[in-house]
Amino acid sequence: MLQVENTLFTIVMLLYFAAMILFFVYIAIKKDPVAKIAIGLQLAGLVLHTAALICRGIGAGRLPFTNQYEFATSFAWGLCLVSLIFLLKFKFPVLGAFSAPLIFLIIGYAAMQSKDVHSLMPALQSNWLGFHVSTAIIAYGAFGVSFVLSIIFLLRDKAKEGSFWDLHIPSREKLDLISYRSVALGLLFLTFTIITGAIWAERAWGSYWSWDPKETWSLVTWIIYMVYLHLRIRRGWQGKAAAIFAVAGFICVMFTYIGVNTFLPGIHSYK
Amino acid sequence: MDALKKIFKFLSSMTFAIILLVVLAAACAAGSFITQGQTYEWYAEAYSESAAAWIMALRLNDAFHSVWFVVIALFLCGNLLLCNVIRLKSLIQKSRQAGEPKKEPEQTADAMAHQISDPVQVFERLRMPKPKSLEQDGKQILFSVKNRAGIWGAWVCHLGILLLILGFGLGQMTKAEYTVYGVPGQTLLIGETGLFLQIDDFQVNLREDDTVEQYTADITVFRAPQGSTAEPDSEHAVISVNHPGRMFGMTFYQNATGWAARVTVEKSGSPIQSEIVCAGEYLPVVDLNDLVIVFNAFYPDYVSVPGSMPMSASSKLNNPGYLYSVYYKGNIIGMNVLLEGEQVTIDDYTVTFTEPQNYTLIQIKKDSFTWLAFMGGITTMIGLFFAFYLQLQAVCAVRDEDETWTVYGFCNKGGKLYEDLFSRAVQNTEKEAGRKE
Repeated sequence: MLQVENTLFTIVMLLYFAAMILFFVYIAIKKDPVAKIAIGLQLAGLVLHTAALICRGIGAGRLPFTNQYEFATSFAWGLCLVSLIFLLKFKFPVLGAFSAPLIFLIIGYAAMQSKDVHSLMPALQSNWLGFHVSTAIIAYGAFGVSFVLSIIFLLRDKAKEGSFWDLHIPSREKLDLISYRSVALGLLFLTFTIITGAIWAERAWGSYWSWDPKETWSLVTWIIYMVYLHLRIRRGWQGKAAAIFAVAGFICVMFTYIGVNTFLPGIHSYK
Repeated sequence: MDALKKIFKFLSSMTFAIILLVVLAAACAAGSFITQGQTYEWYAEAYSESAAAWIMALRLNDAFHSVWFVVIALFLCGNLLLCNVIRLKSLIQKSRQAGEPKKEPEQTADAMAHQISDPVQVFERLRMPKPKSLEQDGKQILFSVKNRAGIWGAWVCHLGILLLILGFGLGQMTKAEYTVYGVPGQTLLIGETGLFLQIDDFQVNLREDDTVEQYTADITVFRAPQGSTAEPDSEHAVISVNHPGRMFGMTFYQNATGWAARVTVEKSGSPIQSEIVCAGEYLPVVDLNDLVIVFNAFYPDYVSVPGSMPMSASSKLNNPGYLYSVYYKGNIIGMNVLLEGEQVTIDDYTVTFTEPQNYTLIQIKKDSFTWLAFMGGITTMIGLFFAFYLQLQAVCAVRDEDETWTVYGFCNKGGKLYEDLFSRAVQNTEKEAGRKE
């Protein structure tokens, strides 16, 4: 099963790469059918990615959420899923051109990690693992999409009236609302992640909150997105300021994910 | 008076909330970068003298329990409380009004469409509940509203955060926490509770690949009997990692493990002391307290590699090795690794290490406010769900004089996206009507 997963993972990487290239081509030649093929490739990648994760789970005999490789590939899966949902729901293929490089970057990071399957340490043998990590995957994916949307929002100002960018990117107001929706999705799931993590920590470590660096940075991320939500409804701070906070929020997400494990090891640092 | 009003207004304002949140995030980030709970000397060594002075002055060495951190949290609680109290009346009013059609919908609608022949279709396409038919100022009105609970989203979320901080704070102030450790057969006093914990058994279950599958402790907790004939009041539990036990109103966690051994001291060939000592602990010799035996570390499968630190080839008890050191009057006089059957002699005294076994470290906790913090967490999540996914929507159709209808749509936080949704529903309704004709 793990061999099958390995093969599927390689195919998925190639599909995501091809989708990214085609999204770039779409931007360059501005032909809608190219965007449709790129979306199709990304969708195919997502389906095979799902199959790869299932194979990994069967091969390892547990949920594939416990080390850097497994979380990175799951993160890329979550980002691809949320990105495709938003892209299809809001009929917005340009989103794909911005999210595809991020997906490829994260799956590339996964490819650089060790794929060895290790037995779970006692603290990780809990049903809460599934709830805690799967909600984090969706939260991170949604925050990734809000980051991409905020970048598009900040770049949109430079689009000339009647140009491809002007016609193919939703208005500032709509972009802001779509970004808000992805932050809302992410924040709801991040809250769920923190709560399930706290319940699990209470059972495993005897303390639902220990100010461990991972916990602390999850809280920092949560606070940053809370500030984003308040800024959006505060007159004079909508739009650009909120978009900057959404970008800062995603930088916090990435720091919580990679930076904390690298620079601030604690009880969450499962290698 | 005006100044007081201004202060009150600021303390309950969103601007203040945003400032507090940013400060709180910065404080948390600082607390995570600076190693917590160290001494001035440690920080001076790790950073610099001046940095250490700043860290100690600002209490950044214990950031999350410092006065300024608590003050920020209290201000945040105050801000949330004031915000909720101030908004309560208007929210109740808004919630009531949301159930009635607006008097002048054309002025407040997010979207509207004229000359609709079949308004019920628009309601259906927007997935609104079945509209009520009313009459207002002599005009027929169809009205439907959904997601009224959404109005309360932010309020419920604020309430949840308040409960969470309150539960956490009260828990920190009142909780009792104890740690005991020992080997099977030992009975240990749990702090000042008057309770004893007896370790009946402790197992470390290993997998074939030598990794730990689970640590399981079989424990009995009892209160010392009041009379010599009375039976002790006792409770029993089997605890393992992720499966704590609850006894006498406290929770018992299998927290950690390590190695212990029996250290026997003989003087001139006669045993004078024999005790179980955990790795990392020391044993003062009973009749010569200046002589101290330190059990530094244990290697269950000891291998000696010249020029390198002692190590264990596996976690199986194949070749037990005990790293010890001997101190006399505070000065180290010897350090080595003893194997099973070997002994160390210091003048008249001989020391042997035997019976290597795992000890268990059990954490015991009583926090009467954990439930409140979790209630707060769940309330926060419900509030966020209400705020994000139960957005108040109302659709109102007014019959015009020419027998067609004007349909108005309202959606809290819907903006341009709601306009699109509304337009699609209207266009599809009109297309359908066109096809029927």
